[in-house]
Amino acid sequence: MTRINEPLLQLKDVTAGYGAGLVLKGVNLDVMPGQIICLIGPNGAGKSTVLKTISGLLGIKGGEVIFKGHEISTLSSKQRLGLGIVHVPQDRSLFPAMTVWENILMGAFILKDQKLINERIEQAAELFPIIIARKNAAAGSLSGGEQKQVEVARSLMLDPALILLDEPSIGLDPKSRKLVFESISLLSKAGRTILLVEQNARSGLAVSDRGAVLEAGRVALVGTGAGLLEDPEVSRLYLGASSK
Amino acid sequence: MHLVIQALILGSLTGGVYALMASGQTLIFGIMKVINLAQGAFVIVASYLTFSLFQMTGLDPFLLIVITTPIMFILGVATQWFLLKPLRPDDAAELSLLVTFAVALGLEGALSLFYKTTLRSIMPGYENHSWTVWGYQVNEVRFYAFLLSIAMLGILYLLLQKTKFGRSVRATVQNPMSAQLLGVNSKAVSAFGFGLGVSTTAAAGAVFGLITPFNPGSHYDLISRLLTIVVLGGMGAIGGSVIAALMMGVGAALVSALASPIWSDFTFFIVLLLVLLIRPRGLFGAKVRGAL
Ligand SMILES: Nc1ncnc2c1ncn2[C@@H]1O[C@H](COP(=O)(O)OP(=O)(O)OP(=O)(O)O)[C@@H](O)[C@H]1O
Ligand SMILES: [Mg+2]
Repeated sequence: MTRINEPLLQLKDVTAGYGAGLVLKGVNLDVMPGQIICLIGPNGAGKSTVLKTISGLLGIKGGEVIFKGHEISTLSSKQRLGLGIVHVPQDRSLFPAMTVWENILMGAFILKDQKLINERIEQAAELFPIIIARKNAAAGSLSGGEQKQVEVARSLMLDPALILLDEPSIGLDPKSRKLVFESISLLSKAGRTILLVEQNARSGLAVSDRGAVLEAGRVALVGTGAGLLEDPEVSRLYLGASSK
Repeated sequence: MHLVIQALILGSLTGGVYALMASGQTLIFGIMKVINLAQGAFVIVASYLTFSLFQMTGLDPFLLIVITTPIMFILGVATQWFLLKPLRPDDAAELSLLVTFAVALGLEGALSLFYKTTLRSIMPGYENHSWTVWGYQVNEVRFYAFLLSIAMLGILYLLLQKTKFGRSVRATVQNPMSAQLLGVNSKAVSAFGFGLGVSTTAAAGAVFGLITPFNPGSHYDLISRLLTIVVLGGMGAIGGSVIAALMMGVGAALVSALASPIWSDFTFFIVLLLVLLIRPRGLFGAKVRGAL
């Protein structure tokens, strides 16, 4: 049983990398249920890598990944999906030549119960009406912001316990970016637990309950979203740049 | 004019058969980015299988497809599982070219041992029948072959577009990492997709054996034509390869009728060169990644 003040997900001294070297050099991070936590940090700090070790796209070399009190680092990415950990990667992840509807159905790929799938689609459509309005459009024909909305809606198909959102606003025009952050606020109001990675630190922290700064493979600083926004060091390093 | 229309008829009928072989090849390329150089050899294997089964049972070659299709499917899955899957992802693209070529040579060798190099034909007795429609000759076997190819393509289309398995195949073609993140087993999709692509050679092989005398070395001829069609159609686009196959079928028949049959083979090479030089993504090459 997970009590409300126990973290949903805990990273303990996680080390990981792609070849010989380590990208993550001992990451410690708690994600509390029902909260949005925003991970910020410079390019190449290892933010995406953190998400990959949680969803299982990348194995870890040391430390522990604990989800609902269980060590999950040996589970396959499909098994972790089954536990309700959904990863929306940094690159565009829709299937461009498939319709919006088919993309949404792919989000429910591991589900068998058609009635449940329909219910989930209805629920997701309440937050993201676009999945009904543009049902038959090819996903690749939507604008960047619309595509992100569909991606996020698709991630809801499994009623996930934890959503890993990797730079959802990257490469979007200001209008689409606004759309994406509105979507994240909506999810937050719906009580979802989200680990958000954002280059756009100001907007990211603003929609988050808590924030963490990743630097050179380690978590350098943790605080409330509002707290980090006011922190002079964070402000100088990350907020100045993003408001340019 | 009569000659031209006659060539059009013959060309479309032949093109339909090539469309079937090429669609399997295109499917394989789309899913795995593997240029399957053994596709021609699989067609010849299927031709021999049909030939032998026909001799043993006397059943109609078109009926035998029900038996040969699952056999070719299994052969395809096995090839992928034991020979292609173990390749390291980093150099799989280049090595798979060599592996499939080795498979082609291996199959050719095995067939030569069993059947020698004598040219064979599948002769159910009606292979030379034709109808005369408004003065034009329509060869019966080629006509049935054409219908069969269309039907098989239809089944392939429905499988890919209307089933959950098909959806996972298309998803893997369009964005493999994303498909994996959603729980698609990409290894199973690759193996099944390869099997599916090879299984189209069952029908194609039966038909090929009916309309052309063949021996184990015939696959060289076939694969060069298939590559031309697949490249012309835009690698990975099944619809494109069907249209390209019809175009090449008609083109070759026209050249054969108007110039000489010797030049007809040559058209394929000229088209292949021209496409590669002028428009490498083919006529229908996808602007969006993965048009399947
Ligand atoms: N697939 C990979 N193979 C090898 N190295 C990789 C791979 N992915 C990332 N890296 C390396 O790992 C380091 C961390 O990358 P990561 O993508 O986690 O950074 P990030 O913080 O998400 O950066 P960004 O803000 O640019 O997305 C980088 O040095 C990168 O070059
Ligand atoms: Mg990243």
